[in-house]
This record gives sequence, structure tokens and C-alpha cells, in this order.
Amino acid sequence: MAEAKTFKLRILACNKLFYEGDAIEVIFPTTDGEWAVMANHAEMISTIEIGEMKVKLPDGSWMKAIVSDGFIDVHDNRVNIIVYSCEKPEEIDRFRAEAAMERAREQLSAKQSIREYHISTASLARAMARLKYSNKDI
Amino acid sequence: MASAKEISNRIKSIKDTMKITRAMYMISSIKLRKAKKNLEETEPYFYGLQGEIAGILYRFPDAVNLFFDNREKDLKEKVKRRGIVVITGDKGMCGAYNHNVLKEAEKLIKDSKKYRLFVVGAVGRNYFYTRNYPLPRDFTYTATNPSIHRARNISETIIELYKKERLDEVWVVYTRMVNSMRSDVEIEEVLPLKQRKFARDEIIKRKQKAQMAHGHLKKLEDIDINVRSEDTDDTVLLSGSDMIIRPSVDDLIEKIVYNYLTGFIYGALVEASACEENARMMAMSNATDNADNILKDLSLEYNKVRQAGITQEITEVIGGAKALKSKN
Repeated sequence: MAEAKTFKLRILACNKLFYEGDAIEVIFPTTDGEWAVMANHAEMISTIEIGEMKVKLPDGSWMKAIVSDGFIDVHDNRVNIIVYSCEKPEEIDRFRAEAAMERAREQLSAKQSIREYHISTASLARAMARLKYSNKDI
Repeated sequence: MASAKEISNRIKSIKDTMKITRAMYMISSIKLRKAKKNLEETEPYFYGLQGEIAGILYRFPDAVNLFFDNREKDLKEKVKRRGIVVITGDKGMCGAYNHNVLKEAEKLIKDSKKYRLFVVGAVGRNYFYTRNYPLPRDFTYTATNPSIHRARNISETIIELYKKERLDEVWVVYTRMVNSMRSDVEIEEVLPLKQRKFARDEIIKRKQKAQMAHGHLKKLEDIDINVRSEDTDDTVLLSGSDMIIRPSVDDLIEKIVYNYLTGFIYGALVEASACEENARMMAMSNATDNADNILKDLSLEYNKVRQAGITQEITEVIGGAKALKSKN
């Protein structure tokens, strides 16, 4: 089989440069399901939802990460992903995520403004994604 | 000349003050280390995000949208309502740090016909409160230990108002760390988003800023910005037109705005808190040095006074002895 084509991938989270280097494929969650980008993809800008992202590295292995919402920018065989947070499943603090879920649920049950509602639903989604994917065996 | 007692009292009080400033210096140096670590982790994101947004806007097809402030009724508005986010510290004792931010903020307020203030940090809030500026009552955020959660709360508040069209522009006044010796007050217009024709200047500006900042950002240089010099506006127009935009232009713009504002405010909070601790540490080290100098002068003076006293006593004794001798 011919050598798989690669592209330059950069994933920026607000507390670190999560990944910078070559990749064969990246699969990310969006509002209408998962999307994949491979080398020489057409120019694209898309949103990313909270969920699990997978990156196929040049050696053929898959790297998994849990991302919080953000966006992806594809152009000239370069892919830039900017998200609030991006963690490997093993980095996730389940205890913290559980506490966050509890807190978000509690806040949701209280009466609140639309703004607070937005924030609580987003934190709930984040906590649930963290718990869900950190649990899964790879 | 003051008496020896007075001087020794002063020496004691200065020594006590020095103990306090030295302790504060140590505390702030520890806090600074933490803030700097945070800054180092956040800086690639902060500059990367700005470069990325500018790059996207540069390639983005022309769209009429609330967040570009280019709808027909937006263009008709004569007076723009400004939202001004001012990031100050929670405490004083940090040299001119708060003063510099507040000075720039007041200048900006004077230029604005209609404005709404969002002040982060207790010092700034007190400052504007005592000067009778209108402040929203439920906007009370601290500046220490910035978190993405707080940034999200702030940006939700602002975007909510923006969507209700109570704001047309959003400006952020904060302090940016250029290097460990220098920090500058920055005034940035974050919203509305810049349209393509303005985006190019923006990109160049951001690039310079990122390069001026710390050395570890070198890596970003080659990637963050993708303006080729041979690009004319026409070629960009063409390449922009067949770009895939998902899920829809409006949804994407909204997402970008949320991400951009939250990321920007988070970055600004982190920068500001590092600057604050840095300023406090420098102020306290200066204060300790000054106290040292004063002590040196005072102890010299004290010794002079003491010596003068001793000399006088000796002359008195000798004078007395002489007088007695001549009597005999």
C-alpha cells in the first residue's frame, strides 16, 4: 500500500498546545454527527461540538481526545482546531467531572436566566462527555 | 536636629514597614510564578486564536450579519453603543498598574457617546463607583486566579446584550505582558468582527504583536497566518467563494464569536493577572529598597546625634573638672 498522505494538524486548547504535527485523518463531532478530514481536503470552516475526537497519526495509530466546543479551519492541507479544552481520556479527572455534572444538574433545576441556562447546559454536556469517553476502553 | 529618641522611633517604624513590604514581596513572587506558568500555557492559545480568527475573517465570504454590524439598520445608526470591558486588579499596592489601565479606560469613555462599563476587579469598580459612572450591578468579577468559567460568564453577559442590540461595539482594556520588565495597556476592539477588507491590516498587526511577545511563540509564526503576498483581493474572493462552511454561515459566525470573545477575555484576564503580580512584586521590592536607604540615612543621623550628645557630655564634664581645678 502506498504511503498514506498526511496533512499538518494543530490543535490548540486554552491551556496548552495539544498537538502539532502530521496526521492522516481527523474525525471530529459536529452538530450533525461526525465528520472526517483527510489530506487535501477542500477549504472548510466548521464548528466542533462537545464530544470525542480521533486523530490518525502517521504511524497508523489512533489518538483519542475529548474536546469541548470550538471550530476547525481547513485550508491548504493545513488543519487548525481551536477548542476550549482538549484532553486525552486518561487525563480526565473522573471525580472532578462527576462533581461538575452534579453542580450543573443542580443549577439547571433552579430557576435561572437564559444566560445561566446556556452556561449550565454547556457545562453539563462537557461533564457528561468527559465521563462517557473516559470510561470507554480503547 | 531631631533628638535621638525621635530618630530611633522612626527607625523602628520603618523597620516594621519593611517587614511588611518584604513579606508582600515574597507572597507576590510566589503568586507571580503561578501566574506566569498559567500565562505561558495560555499564550499560544491567546495569540493563536487571534491569528486564526483574523485569518478566517480574511478568507470569509462577505456576509451580512449582526456580528459584522453591517446590516442595513446598523449602517444607519449614527451613534454606536460601546461596551467597554476594563480589567483591573483586586488590590492596590502594585505601583501604577491600576492607574495606567484606568487612565486609558477613562480616555476611551470620553471618546464614546454611549457606553456601558464592565469592570473586572475591585479597584476599578471602586474607582468608577466613586466617580459616579454607571456600573451594572450584577457584574462583579474578581481578577485573581482567572478561569475559563469566569471568562465564559463574562462573555455570555456581553453577547446577550449584543444580541439584544444594546451594544454595537465591544472594547477590551487590559494590560499585556510584553516581557518581564515591560507591560503595556492594550485597547482592543473585539466586536463587531472585522470584514475582509479590514482583516488584512489586522492580521499584520496581530502577527507583529505575537512576534514581539515571548520567544516560545516562535513556533506559531509560520502557521498562524496565511496571507500570501501574491494574494490580490480578487484571488481571495474566488478562493473564498467555494469554501465549505458548516453548519451554516450564521451558526458558524455565532460560534466563532462565542469562542473568540471567551478566549480573548480569558487570555486578557491571564495576561492582566500576571502583569498585576509582576507590578506588585516590583513595587514591593522598590519599597523594601527605599526603606533600606532611609534606614541607612537615619542610622547615620542617629549616630551623629548620639555622638554629638556624647561629645557635649564630655565637654561638660571636662568643663566642670576644669572649673573645679581652677577653684583649688
